Amino acid sequence: MLIEMKGIVKDFGPVRAVDHIDFTVNSGEIIGLLGENGAGKTTLMNVLAGTFPPDEGEIFIDGNKVQISNALHAMRMGIRFIHQEISLCNDLRVFENIFLSEELLRKNGLLNKKEMINRCLKVFERMQVQIDPNAIVSTLQPAERQLVEIARALLFKCDLIIMDEPSTALATKEIKRLFDIMRQLKTEGVSFIYISHKMPELFEICDIYYIMRDGKLVAHGKFAEIDEQQATELMIGRHLADEEFLNKPYYGQEEVILSVKNLSGKSFFDISFDLHKGEILAITGLQGSGRDLLADALFGAEEYTGTLQVKNHTLKQGSTIIDHMKNGIGMVPRSRKERGIHNDLSIYDNISMAFFNTKFKRLLIDSRREKERFLRQQKALSIKTDQPKNPITSLSGGNQQKVILGRWLEADADILLFDNPTQGIDVGTKFEIYRLIIELAKNGKAIIVFSSEFPEIHKVADSCIVLYKGRINARLNRDEITEMSIMYYSTGANLEAVKNG
Amino acid sequence: MVSVFQKYSFKDLIKKLFAEYSYWLSFILLLILAVSVNTNFLRWSNIINIFVQTATTGIIALGMSMVISAGQIDISVGAQVAIISGLGIVVLNFTNSIWLMFAFCLLLGTLIGSLNGLMVAKGNMPAMIATLAMQSICRSLINQWGQGGPFTVSNTNFDTFRLVAAGSIRIFGFKIPYPMIMFIVFSILFGIIMRQTKLGKHIYAVGSNTNSARLAGVNVKGIQIIVFMITGLLCGFSGWLYASRVMAVAAASAGNAYEMEVIAAVAIGGTSMTGGRGKIIGTFLGALMFKIINNILTMADVPTFLNGAISGAIIIVAVLLQNVQNKSK
Repeated sequence: MLIEMKGIVKDFGPVRAVDHIDFTVNSGEIIGLLGENGAGKTTLMNVLAGTFPPDEGEIFIDGNKVQISNALHAMRMGIRFIHQEISLCNDLRVFENIFLSEELLRKNGLLNKKEMINRCLKVFERMQVQIDPNAIVSTLQPAERQLVEIARALLFKCDLIIMDEPSTALATKEIKRLFDIMRQLKTEGVSFIYISHKMPELFEICDIYYIMRDGKLVAHGKFAEIDEQQATELMIGRHLADEEFLNKPYYGQEEVILSVKNLSGKSFFDISFDLHKGEILAITGLQGSGRDLLADALFGAEEYTGTLQVKNHTLKQGSTIIDHMKNGIGMVPRSRKERGIHNDLSIYDNISMAFFNTKFKRLLIDSRREKERFLRQQKALSIKTDQPKNPITSLSGGNQQKVILGRWLEADADILLFDNPTQGIDVGTKFEIYRLIIELAKNGKAIIVFSSEFPEIHKVADSCIVLYKGRINARLNRDEITEMSIMYYSTGANLEAVKNG
Repeated sequence: MVSVFQKYSFKDLIKKLFAEYSYWLSFILLLILAVSVNTNFLRWSNIINIFVQTATTGIIALGMSMVISAGQIDISVGAQVAIISGLGIVVLNFTNSIWLMFAFCLLLGTLIGSLNGLMVAKGNMPAMIATLAMQSICRSLINQWGQGGPFTVSNTNFDTFRLVAAGSIRIFGFKIPYPMIMFIVFSILFGIIMRQTKLGKHIYAVGSNTNSARLAGVNVKGIQIIVFMITGLLCGFSGWLYASRVMAVAAASAGNAYEMEVIAAVAIGGTSMTGGRGKIIGTFLGALMFKIINNILTMADVPTFLNGAISGAIIIVAVLLQNVQNKSK
């Protein structure tokens, strides 16, 4: 089977996530799709797998033009997409998940459980994994769930399997097994598109590379013809604008404003560090490193043990979000749409929301003061709108993010937590946000940026904590922050070496 | 910064009118229809009649607006009115004091509302289920208490208590009944609460996005409890008024289908059924519109048995229209 995508374009609001991409998959080919976070890889794959239609462009299968209208449609055409976030129904059994929407029936129309379970067992055998098809998915380990997803793709006849960072949840042994399965299927003519950040894996399993940057295809060819260094350079690109951030001065002051001691929670353990006024600290780590929950815990949105010393106050177990806010901690949360904005509310109200909670002492809200608050932040953050009474959704992602930031500035937060602050924001505005972060540090705010994007950390951070399996694995100074060192510590390579050595 | 205060263009204005003030349009259309069906419609006596009829459900609809704006629903309001008005009359007959009865009604309503709120916020129950159970409990208890007979106001209190619903004042020669005043005053009060207080903003924030609200420091559970409490309080007030209007509360039928009327009023008024958006003025007009429709239908000799079908249809149409509007945005 030959799949061709031609001139694919996909916009999300003002952000062009995929920009005129041509992509060809021959049968029995393993393609590595590379790019930084937000380069548009997943979006392109979603178009191919029918999650949403492209805004422009055409897809051909064996020379015939097709419209892939939904995921089921894509499956019928032999395209399977294994998403990065595991998309199993937790309350159903393994075999029920595997056969979801394609259940086998007996002649009388009832489910043929026996046959389904048998087929599951066969697939698991082929994959050499031991998972009980009757187990409830919620009782499985994350790695096992990932394998169930893969089994689901393998079970049915398919010509193309798309895997979005499948190895994140898998251990080395399981990855090896996965590669064996992929190689075998390749000989049977099945093609793969393999999205990953891990160079060694890509070079091991993939034949062809496609590299995306900022929604555009920057290079493609054979892996045999490049090395890791070249691939990385193509992926990151050398932006002129980078230089602006190269010589960022350190604005940190003497005063320690936040002192974290032995903080532990569900997925992070024994975290301790100091943060100075005017300092920008980055905290990074792979998915599952506890980064997300640590961010929430520092804001009081997640339970923790241990203490946070803010100036002269101590926050400890049981402190609420309001307690944290009153001590001057503010958070620009990750997943802006789900956790940041109120899409029904006006820009005015969105900007004033935290202010209402900590500073507002009157009975009635005065619209003149609301306007003042907005104008102040509009000026400080250059929020681009002329109708602040409109819902916040009328703004672009970057401007929405500025509104959320303005929310905390109006609440007089001294410590600002930015959790994945440039998610879904176009490049230009990203840089604006970086400049703002640095500007805020210059004015004495203490800042923690939680991020998985190296270019982001590289641009703004004075130092960087790298988490591995919920613990601090390294604290790097500004001159030690390189893509290599961050990858090294966040994959726990240093610890593995100790174990093996 | 002139641009911030830029005037809307004409096209924007029309769009805005349709999107945000559609309830005014439907209200005016309905008025035109009502006048064409019934030439006496705009007489003062008919207008105050509609207001008096609307008051009991309209006052509750203000609370329902809050509940729905916070992303919840309360279907126990009808049964609440039944138990509150029934037991209220018991208290009245026992104490001979309208005001003790008044206090009792508010207290009982607030209590029931708090229970609803606690079930939803602390017990993590879906509001539909929690208030359905509460509806069943209230109705059953008052039926048991009444043993089939009505709760009747005793002769001693008859003349004084009757005035709550039947009394009126005169302003510039216009007779204005108490229930009309109550409805209007409550509407203004709730309009201010929803537009201009922290509580109102928080209610919309919670209804719009619980996660974002929590992460902006809003006490989400507190908001969820308080909207039900306020609705209970209003049911208490409305139960008191209802008792005075009927003077004999039949346990099985009192406040019947109020939840439908109230939710319909909120829906016609343009409040988003998924929370986060809505205006009290919309609910105010919505409640009136509901009665005006009834008024028109009565004129057209539609049997009262069909009222339920009509309120159901109104809710469906109103919410479908909302969806269409949201899509076109």
